[in-house]
Amino acid sequence: MSRPSRRQFASAALLGLAPKSEPRIAGGFVFEGPDQGLDQGHRIRDKARFATPRRRERIPVVIAGGGVAGLSAAWRLDKRGFRDFVVLEMEAQAGGNARSGQNEITAYPWAAHYLPVPDKHEALVRELCEELGLLQDGVWNERWLCHSPQERLFLHGRWQEGVEPAIGLTRKDTAQFRQFEERIQELRATAAFRIPMEEGLAKATPAVRALDTITMGDWMDREALISPYLRWFVDYSTRDDYGTHVSDISAWAGLHYFASREPEDKGPLTWPEGNGWIVKKLLVKLGRYMRTKSMIYQVRREGQRWLVFTENTIYEADAVIFAAPTWLASWIVDPAPPRWPIVTAPWITANLTLHRWPENKGLEYAWDNVIYNSTSLGYVVATHQNVAMYQPQTVWTWYMALADGSGADQRRLLLGGDWNYWKERILADLEKAHPDIRQCVDRIDIFRIGHAMPRPLPGAIFNPERIHRTKHTGTLVYANCDLSSLSLFEEAQYRGVSAADHILKVVSRSGA
Amino acid sequence: MAIVLFLSVFLIAACGLIYELIAGTLASYLLGDSVLQFSTVIGSYLFAMGIGSWLSRFIDRALVARFITIELLVGLLGGFSSTLLFLGFAYTQAFRFLLYVLVVIIGILVGLEIPLLMRILRERFQFKELVANVLTFDYLGALGASLLFPLVLVPKLGLVRGAILFGLINAAVALWSTWLFKEHLPTPGIQRAGCAIVVLALCIGLAFGNVITDTADSALYSDEVIFAKSTPYQRMVLTKWKQDYRLYLNSHLQFSSRDEYRYHEALVHPGLASIASPKRALVLGGGDGLAVREMLRYASLESITLVDLDPEMTRQFSTHPLLVELNSGSLKNPKVHVINADAFPWLEKNDGVYDFVVVDFPDPNNYSLGKLYTTAFYRLLRHHVAQNGVAVVQSTSPMFARQSFWCINETMKQAGFKTYPYHVYVPSFGEWGYVLGAVEEWRQPAQVPPGLKFLTATNVHELFDFPPDLAPVPAEPNRLSDQTLVRYYEREWREIVR
Repeated sequence: MSRPSRRQFASAALLGLAPKSEPRIAGGFVFEGPDQGLDQGHRIRDKARFATPRRRERIPVVIAGGGVAGLSAAWRLDKRGFRDFVVLEMEAQAGGNARSGQNEITAYPWAAHYLPVPDKHEALVRELCEELGLLQDGVWNERWLCHSPQERLFLHGRWQEGVEPAIGLTRKDTAQFRQFEERIQELRATAAFRIPMEEGLAKATPAVRALDTITMGDWMDREALISPYLRWFVDYSTRDDYGTHVSDISAWAGLHYFASREPEDKGPLTWPEGNGWIVKKLLVKLGRYMRTKSMIYQVRREGQRWLVFTENTIYEADAVIFAAPTWLASWIVDPAPPRWPIVTAPWITANLTLHRWPENKGLEYAWDNVIYNSTSLGYVVATHQNVAMYQPQTVWTWYMALADGSGADQRRLLLGGDWNYWKERILADLEKAHPDIRQCVDRIDIFRIGHAMPRPLPGAIFNPERIHRTKHTGTLVYANCDLSSLSLFEEAQYRGVSAADHILKVVSRSGA
Repeated sequence: MAIVLFLSVFLIAACGLIYELIAGTLASYLLGDSVLQFSTVIGSYLFAMGIGSWLSRFIDRALVARFITIELLVGLLGGFSSTLLFLGFAYTQAFRFLLYVLVVIIGILVGLEIPLLMRILRERFQFKELVANVLTFDYLGALGASLLFPLVLVPKLGLVRGAILFGLINAAVALWSTWLFKEHLPTPGIQRAGCAIVVLALCIGLAFGNVITDTADSALYSDEVIFAKSTPYQRMVLTKWKQDYRLYLNSHLQFSSRDEYRYHEALVHPGLASIASPKRALVLGGGDGLAVREMLRYASLESITLVDLDPEMTRQFSTHPLLVELNSGSLKNPKVHVINADAFPWLEKNDGVYDFVVVDFPDPNNYSLGKLYTTAFYRLLRHHVAQNGVAVVQSTSPMFARQSFWCINETMKQAGFKTYPYHVYVPSFGEWGYVLGAVEEWRQPAQVPPGLKFLTATNVHELFDFPPDLAPVPAEPNRLSDQTLVRYYEREWREIVR
């Protein structure tokens, strides 16, 4: 924008119409640069040469990847009294999708930002929650349950309570929501949809298995669920959790989202830094196993052992828990396993630092603020769990799954747009609900995640290769949540813990 | 020359509008319902001006002399209009009658001014030029007056002296006209003498205006604003009405000096008097120092910590002479430690334990305030209350917000307090409620400190009795993750306040 002349400015100021010259907004991309994940990872893909490390280190177990799956494997090993292992993390900060940041206002998440209150079946998550003081004597710690008001939706030019559309619906629309809820209740009763998902699979009847051969969109058509509000709501949900449109996602996965949970309490559990809070707590205990900035470029079989190559050290391990995304194994592990058939979804998240809150009419700010019919998923207020009365400044975490079309195309778009391009898209999106957003924002820091999570497309769940990799045999096992095709904290934890359990057996046998 | 003539039009137009605004404002102040008052005053005034314009046709001779007489009458009546109305309101039953009589008379006189002046000026200007100029200056005068009135006149001069000042302007125009149109005046001396008398009367009025203003304002003028301050946290307004000082935070009444002792005695003494030699006390909110004033009656107290969000609030109540008089300088007492902090995070960060805690927050009318009334907050609070100590929470009105009141009681119970709800009648608030929370079984005090204005050892027990219309109703506890209280509160007050 060109600078207004002094005369223009003076005359406008007199009229009280000072040109809203856009304040300078700072920011940039995070976790990017020559020594960081994005570029480093692509060096492996491009078969770049890596220097052979000089150091060799003998270690019984290597956990590859310090995200929630790797940390959960470490948590289990440590809890079972096994301490001879390291966790190798490519990035400078552990946590994977649960990484977080911090500025002078608040901590904030970079991706995963909540944990649904687990139901009574979810023993592992409950165990962790008890350990972290989130569950005490059967009561969920109110401090970290999401405070009121939890969610709101910007629909027809105003905010309504809750994300499920409620204003402007015809009687037919309302009936469709009820009908959808009834279908979900029926599916919930089959007990085939559980978290962890593995525990429900045994109950999968042929009819349930058939849901994985069609898309959620097909299923909704079949059930004559055509209300645009309902379609939007379901699409929002599948984009929000799995980065995938309702028209693309496996009906099994889409229905699992709705039918798998029966939370005991109004939630979810959430923190200023999102799931980064859990990561920080875990690292207090497990930090000593963690080796960050340790990118593995090769895992090679040598006799009975595995050689794990990073640029500094070769680790000689008896066993490897591969907790990094499973598809990476095809590039790193030698002998290479078959190509992983599951595709990944690109995401973009942004943390906006606001020196003041935009004008807000009607409903108060909620934790999760969603804009109807937006390509984004809205924003989460990082200061929401703060109990201070007076919070003049805040940080918002804005989310968007690039769910249109193929992942590869969307990744090109993701990386093709510079910071200015994405800044404008983010502001344009928020301007729909907050016309004065530009006057409030000081910084926009953007995180581009090319391969954020698996896309549970039709066939993914009952894919033989996926099922094969979940069966632990030998001394290299997989542990990423993509083994479930569902990018959920609970799945990552379950996969990490079951891999650890298998390795404990293997190691104790060889030790004995 | 022409410009001087039209300046007269400008001035008399401004004066005319000022009298109208004064009448409307006074009627609103004194009778309330400003929409009705302004509409009827403006309507009658304009109608009266119409009568005046119509009557002007019957004046055929001695136009200039008549014009000067009318100016002097307008100056006198308009100038003293607010004085007359104030006195009329104070000493007669016929305020409304007086109001409309004055409005109509002044209106008629003002209605006569412009037609007469136009006829006087007819010979000096072309008709089209005359009409254009007179009306232009007439409307300009109206604009000037309507801006001057709220921005300068009312705040700087007050209604009484402001009106007199404009009366003087009318008189000045009259005096000036004796020179401007002296060729039309056979005996200008008479008119000038009249002007002198009116100017003298108005000047005396202006000189004694202070007396009139003081007697009239303090007797009648609704709620003078003593100070108004916007801080980053809230808007504070202190008003004075007779000897009643009222503090409003974000336009919610916090106290009225006439009956705040009822509220604060009931807030402090039932709990504090029940504790044998209390040592440490904590006040959350209550930056006005009035609860602290009551607590300082207990010699055994060694320290009182007051945590209030707004530094401006505690500063005003430590330094402003009027406010310091209200709280007896409590915030300056060496036992008192004032901390400006957000109460919930402050409790999380500090681990002091207190014998007595007062929780005096604004009512839970939004989700951020509602957090200070949750099980999470009261659980945290309980860790700061000594084993034989008590906490007392201002809990809105059990009359107007009955379910909200019992919700606070239920919430404190859920947080592990043994609760003892009570209530008191505070005229400026209505029936008001408190919940006393104790860690162990609690007994009502056998005595209260001497010298209280309201509480006695006998009537303190009656506070704990709830008549059927205030009796408990079921309510869900208020949790951070499910703030039932804000919803109850919003619904209940919406039913009361239309």
